[in-house]
Amino acid sequence: MSLPLLEKVKEDGVTYLLTPLSARPGPRPEPSERLYEIAPIAPLPSAARIPQRSPEPGEQYRFHFDMTACVGCKCCVVACNEQNGNPADINWRRVGEIEGGWYPDTQRLHLSMGCNHCLEPSCLLGCPVDAYKKDPVTGVVLHNPDACIGCQYCTWNCSYGVPQYNPERGVVGKCDMCHGRLAEGREPACANACPTGAIRIEIVNIADWKQEFAAGANAPGLPSADDSISTTLITLPRRLPPGTVKADSHRVRPEAPHWPLVMMTVLTQLSAGAFAAISLAQLLGGTLRLGAAALASLLVGGLALGASTMHLGRPVHAYRALKMWRRSWLSREVLMFSLFSAVAGLYAGLLWFKLPGGPVLGALTVLLGILGVTASARIYMVRARPAWNTRHTLAEFYLGGALLGPLFAQSIGISLGRVLLWATVIAATAQLLNVVTKFFSLVRSDVFELRSSALLLSTTLASRLKLRAALLISGGIILPLFVHDRSGALVALAVALAGELLGRYLFFVSVVPKNMAASYLAAGKKVA
Amino acid sequence: MNMKGMLQRKFGLNILSEKYSYGLDPVVGHTSAQKIPDQWVATTCGYCSVGCGMFIGVKQGRAISVRGNPHHPVNQGKLCPKGLSEHYTLAAENRAKYPLLRKNGKLERVSWDEALDVMVAKFRGVQEKYGPDALGVISTGQLVTEEFYALGKLVQLGFGTKNYDGNTTLCMASAVAGYKRSFGSDGPPGAYEDLEQADVVFLIGANIADNHPILCQRLQANPRKTLIVADPRVTKTAMMADLFLPLKPGADIALINGMVHILIGAGLIDRDYIEKHTSGFEELEKFVQKYTPEYVSEVTGLSRELLYKAALRYGHAERAFIGWTMGVNHSVKGTETVNAINNLALIRGNIGRVGASPFSITGQCNAMGTREAGFASSLPGYRKFENAEHRSELAALWNIEEQRIPASRGLAYPDILEAAVNQKVRALWVIATNPVVSFPNLAALQHSLNALEFFVVQDGFHPTPTTELADLVLPAAVWGEKEGTYTNSERRVSKVNRAVAPPGEARPDFEIFLDVAKRLNCYDELFPGWTQPADAFEEWKRVSAGRLCDYSGISYELLEEHGGVQWPLPAGTPVPVRSTRLYGDGKFETEDGKAKLFCIEWEPFPEQPRQDFPFILNTGRTVEHWHTRTKTAQVPLLERMSPNAWLEMNPKDADRLKLKPHDAVDVVSMRGRVRRVELRVTEMIAPGQVFMPFHFAETNANQVTQNAFDPISREPNYKQCAVNVEKAHA
Repeated sequence: MSLPLLEKVKEDGVTYLLTPLSARPGPRPEPSERLYEIAPIAPLPSAARIPQRSPEPGEQYRFHFDMTACVGCKCCVVACNEQNGNPADINWRRVGEIEGGWYPDTQRLHLSMGCNHCLEPSCLLGCPVDAYKKDPVTGVVLHNPDACIGCQYCTWNCSYGVPQYNPERGVVGKCDMCHGRLAEGREPACANACPTGAIRIEIVNIADWKQEFAAGANAPGLPSADDSISTTLITLPRRLPPGTVKADSHRVRPEAPHWPLVMMTVLTQLSAGAFAAISLAQLLGGTLRLGAAALASLLVGGLALGASTMHLGRPVHAYRALKMWRRSWLSREVLMFSLFSAVAGLYAGLLWFKLPGGPVLGALTVLLGILGVTASARIYMVRARPAWNTRHTLAEFYLGGALLGPLFAQSIGISLGRVLLWATVIAATAQLLNVVTKFFSLVRSDVFELRSSALLLSTTLASRLKLRAALLISGGIILPLFVHDRSGALVALAVALAGELLGRYLFFVSVVPKNMAASYLAAGKKVA
Repeated sequence: MNMKGMLQRKFGLNILSEKYSYGLDPVVGHTSAQKIPDQWVATTCGYCSVGCGMFIGVKQGRAISVRGNPHHPVNQGKLCPKGLSEHYTLAAENRAKYPLLRKNGKLERVSWDEALDVMVAKFRGVQEKYGPDALGVISTGQLVTEEFYALGKLVQLGFGTKNYDGNTTLCMASAVAGYKRSFGSDGPPGAYEDLEQADVVFLIGANIADNHPILCQRLQANPRKTLIVADPRVTKTAMMADLFLPLKPGADIALINGMVHILIGAGLIDRDYIEKHTSGFEELEKFVQKYTPEYVSEVTGLSRELLYKAALRYGHAERAFIGWTMGVNHSVKGTETVNAINNLALIRGNIGRVGASPFSITGQCNAMGTREAGFASSLPGYRKFENAEHRSELAALWNIEEQRIPASRGLAYPDILEAAVNQKVRALWVIATNPVVSFPNLAALQHSLNALEFFVVQDGFHPTPTTELADLVLPAAVWGEKEGTYTNSERRVSKVNRAVAPPGEARPDFEIFLDVAKRLNCYDELFPGWTQPADAFEEWKRVSAGRLCDYSGISYELLEEHGGVQWPLPAGTPVPVRSTRLYGDGKFETEDGKAKLFCIEWEPFPEQPRQDFPFILNTGRTVEHWHTRTKTAQVPLLERMSPNAWLEMNPKDADRLKLKPHDAVDVVSMRGRVRRVELRVTEMIAPGQVFMPFHFAETNANQVTQNAFDPISREPNYKQCAVNVEKAHA
């Protein structure tokens, strides 16, 4: 599904966040007595590093990084942190290394990158609260921390790892091309600090760039500029050494597990699956414990949604996530599960009080559940995270619900003979197939990130992956085949649920995001 | 943060908007509001010898920000990542704040009076018992020139010991000795402007991209240059080169002799200059005959084609700049390598002209200051111990008896330590240096320090691996907390200013020296009425007048006005608009006024790899860190970017040893073992060689390096030793 992004931003009637330079009123503030008295400082000699006019309609600013001039001193990184007052572990500008060739015909090249101020910014696209704006004059992709709820979805969406979550604030932040400095006629802090003039700001014609970007914005060590149409122009050496790869290509580490999201996704799927089982039981004429099962399922779903707010940097503002349902899968997920909860609540009420009209509401509940699970899965299917961006994600989420839901209903006491147990066995078998095929597709892939995921799953995470399969087989297939009573079903449910939670944990930690090349040494970590 | 604040943060009501807001600084413009100071104080960077002008932003008595000075002639506003974060070092947790005296085996806080009384009594006691030279003093390149000048007088005339040297012997002593031998005096002849004006820039054993990145700016400003880099490792600087000479370790002399051979053969030498301004050419011409391209190619591992290319590029350049740093100096042949480099410059008259100079790029911020004024390896003003005239000049200037000025140099740094082992030196005063991390062969050093009766460390930081061993720790003010001058590699004197007060009871070294002098009863004689660095500077101007390093025309006001001024600047001379050079008139400081050409034989470096230690270990730096990391380990962002040491190894070797990238390995030599270094498998290093940075006390490269020293300069051979690499045990 393609989203008409830029047009959308303009339709929203964004106010001009950065006034064109020519129209900027008032002179530059006079130097005050705080100036060092002996050496009054003139405006910095920045002329060569920023354009001498503002962009015209159809144009925007862009970074131009000259890799041939960069000596890898990382002045830009320090200057950026100082400019923005960021703590050491948040770096809006980073320097990565790529290298290739053979001694002595070898090169280590450095990539300095802030934000690429893309034409189709994926951070902006996915944002559920409209915290991002693409400035209509300068093209700078701006992030508004006041609007941000700290969901960090942008950090998953950006192929370059540009937006970074600041746990101290509970919101994300990113490079804004020092638009405040640009407005003063000064170059960004990184360009200002560069001793070799490797970073400049230029004006780019948007229509032309859409035709040319593949040649100008791609570089070894960077994800494809196709993902979002990066506007950064990179000057590469005339001759790149053969086999140039990221210096950090051997250093693959698990991502954060996001426990609230592990709980939330698995339990909402369980809840949706359970309502499907309940609704089926109702259709087939069952009445025993339907109300109790529905209330229990509702409770689990509600707890899961509550748990998910713990993932936010600003839980109080969780409701804002509904805002961008027209374009953000995250908003859609929140919307669908909100509706699901409401309708499921009604449905559970009807069942509990044995009122009529159940089957229609039941069908609606199931439909909203499926839509919610679909939206959930689509959140993760982003270009920046190749191991998530496959049908396996949809399958894993659907099958998780399909195997846990019936087992949950069964263990509450709904009984349709062995129908629900067989549903679990079939879904679990499919899930097993899904896990196995996903693993082998990762192993066989020639995409760096996918192969790296396979590497993680077959080394660091191997024992956890085996345990996940064992739990799935025992809780989802073997036990249900032999279960005869509720307590048996409960045991199977516990084992299968543990399997799905572990599976979801692996889903989160084994994804290797696209990113720019990093340094050989892991940032801030002592040697193992 | 209180409970309410915590909850507000947790629920997302408070996103620290104020902390992360922006404001308008009248000097630097739009910037983080946290970084806008009440006042900017102009000063000079305290890390390396490039000597960048900068401002420290001070708010409520704390340094909160720094910026490059766009008007400074050296750096034009740019700073390296260390300079850009230098303010963090001032408030670092590991600053030394109070005098500490070892009592019952533990360092305990004492008053300054007790500390200095004990120090003087102990030093005097040792000297009375074992003779004046039983006191050793090892200083640094980190103090201001005024402090070096005062310290030299205090040590040599006050305490009366000759055994005084600086950590500069670990750094640029070979350059000093080489200059003295070739030109009759220390003093780098060129200027940074030469990087912008040269046709050929030839860097030997100099990785300026990591170590002096701001010089890359000057190099970049020269569009027509050919950059030739000679280095066994493909450094960041080598990668910038137009012509890279990946020579074998320690083969520099052969390379240079080979180039001289080719140049003489091709007639690409300046016979007129050689005749008028040098001596020893005939011998040199004969001597280099054996350095045929075939022979040199075999020794250096460079193809003949590369040798010819390098020699002819150099030979056809009208202006050629030869820069070097530790790849040359850190060798038992360091001094002689410098002489060979000077030969190469002299035979084409590449000295004393714009764009043409043999130029040692110095290490520490004020290594030059101690060379000029320090009274350690020479008398103040580049005067010589051996020269009776120089001694009597100084005696007259100081109004003391000539006999009190030693007629020969005392022990050099490594020899002071050896004398400690032999019980000839019994007490040691170490100032602003960290030998436990920086001195080669740690085991031998520890042996030496353990033999001391009394060990004083004066430093801005505590604990350091060295202060932890001290009997007395004197807390000193550091860069940003005191006033004076630094001299950079191009002889440019810049002002250093106090922006903030030192922490706790730490005091400027200058005050400590004067206080010690008072206790020695030599204050009135040696430092009459001195209270501040300006008093030392005024005397130093008089002492340097008429010398090569003539400061007599320089004043603090002039330095503030110009950002930095090159010496010589005799009194009454206006400050030149362009950079200046030494020896432009072809007159050298030698007895016959001619520069000396030396016949320098190549020899293999001392510890060759062998079966049980098959690798050649090379040590060096990374741009994020300074020396032993006492400062830069306190800057979170620098630590984040360069958190640990690594060992570079070629993939061929790694495959053979079944080692993988990021494996933890031990580096082992005959002398010791560095444990658990992160392996970096890379083509930047040749098969058979490995490289590791020396900054990290935790994985100290000097546990394995060799204590072999240049017989002339006494500089250690840090750059090559034989090691083995083993996979570390878990």
